[in-house]
Amino acid sequence: MSALASIRDLTVTYRRDGNAVAALRNISLDIVAGERLAIIGESGSGKSTLALAIAGLLPASSAVAGRIEWSGLGRTPLLGRDIGFVFQDPSASLDPVMTIGKQIAEVARTHLGLTWSQAYAKAKTLLERVRLPDPDSALHAFPHQLSGGQKQRVAIAAAIAAGPKLLIADEATSALDTIVQAEIVALIRRLVAEDGMTLLFISHDIALAAELAERIAVFRHGQLVELGATAQIVDAPTQAYTRTLLDAHIGLDAAPLLNRAGLPA
Amino acid sequence: MSLLAVSNLTKHYRRGGKTVIAVDDVSFHIEPGETLALAGPSGSGKSTIARLVLRLIEPDAGAIEFEDNDFLALGGAALRARRARLQTVFQDPLAAFNPRATVAHVLDDPLRIHGIASRSERPHRIAALLERVGLAADLAPRAIHEISGGQRQRVAIARAIATKPSLIVLDEAVSALDVSVRGQILDLLLDLQRQERIAYLFISHDLGVVRAVSHRVILLDAGRIAESGDARAVIDAPQSAIGKALVAAAPRLKRTTQDAS
Repeated sequence: MSALASIRDLTVTYRRDGNAVAALRNISLDIVAGERLAIIGESGSGKSTLALAIAGLLPASSAVAGRIEWSGLGRTPLLGRDIGFVFQDPSASLDPVMTIGKQIAEVARTHLGLTWSQAYAKAKTLLERVRLPDPDSALHAFPHQLSGGQKQRVAIAAAIAAGPKLLIADEATSALDTIVQAEIVALIRRLVAEDGMTLLFISHDIALAAELAERIAVFRHGQLVELGATAQIVDAPTQAYTRTLLDAHIGLDAAPLLNRAGLPA
Repeated sequence: MSLLAVSNLTKHYRRGGKTVIAVDDVSFHIEPGETLALAGPSGSGKSTIARLVLRLIEPDAGAIEFEDNDFLALGGAALRARRARLQTVFQDPLAAFNPRATVAHVLDDPLRIHGIASRSERPHRIAALLERVGLAADLAPRAIHEISGGQRQRVAIARAIATKPSLIVLDEAVSALDVSVRGQILDLLLDLQRQERIAYLFISHDLGVVRAVSHRVILLDAGRIAESGDARAVIDAPQSAIGKALVAAAPRLKRTTQDAS
């Protein structure tokens, strides 16, 4: 188990209305090469800040202490080449006036040194890999012509176009309905396995994380509450907060909250 | 008579020269004090039905009876008066309210507009409403954008119950909340239902939540009713293709090997 990245004493502070707000406090964790690691937490837990810090996408106004060592990479990672990032809202991450083919080809051309025609051929292959219907015509389509789930497939194709070692999915399925969410999760699982990528899956949904990840890190108020194998987190959490999150999950087997007494037949 | 009876409701949109059937010949009823859930994938028509029932949009065909009135025939003052009995809570209260308004202002509006309380009475009514939804009365002067998401959704519920409605449309009302807050808001809604006999039209994509809080469920697919019945019976053993797909796709904390196959 070698670490792709080792995060040590990472503290990230944002300035807001003249006040310093700590979004992450003294985080230390290893991302193991080839693992599927989920980062879960509620609003304000710092989970997205962690994703941005790892990807080098923190706003310039943030103050960062601590370090991230990329021993498994041997170089400072470059976003797009070494790290693929999939955001929650594909409409915001795709360029609305650029064809889908060009958006994916541009990543391959920039980071792999391909010619445009090679890059377009690569884009077509990627659209097939993410199972977009009719990849030939999709190359020339614009994002608004696709459904939300199809747009997220395109965003994933662009994220993996340069063959990154690490794929970060930040609430990448949260805006999708349940059925499309399950399809995108299955797609991410397959692509990660096929390409031997490491996955960092950021989510508010502990059940979704449990379905996809081998390890789960629970964050709250900018701190790492608990980190463990998925089965340990789900079956034997050591922290009360993790138990609270598990208990708050309303699954298909949950006891009804409804008291049926006194209601109309 | 049912509290709400919807018959053969149909709504078409024209989009890019093509006709899209958003709601296709949908009929259902809701009894007093009952929760009926509408569930289905994106584009199945659940939010369109909510907007039709609220008369935010008009149907192409069909009838809506609410409290023994032809709801679609109402207009002007009669419609405004009847709307006091039919309220709504949306997914995102920050989008539904003026963010710079205070909590007191948001709650004052329905009391004033529907003539429920005089100017001098209203501060007491507002304090009582806040208490009813589990908020401190000293939250009243705070701006909507200053309070937490959970507090905002409680204010939205307080606003909805201010006019003593018999039916509240809950359109993904708990979907954007943190899970630790979601349970408290669901408890509040169920408590209000028990105390005030309010009926809910509960719109959600989350079958786990639907199963836990609803009496009956309608599963929608492409604007049509695919399946309906007792919420637990339908979700525990769905018969329709969309019902089976929705249940299979719901995330599970512990998936057995049989589930995964």
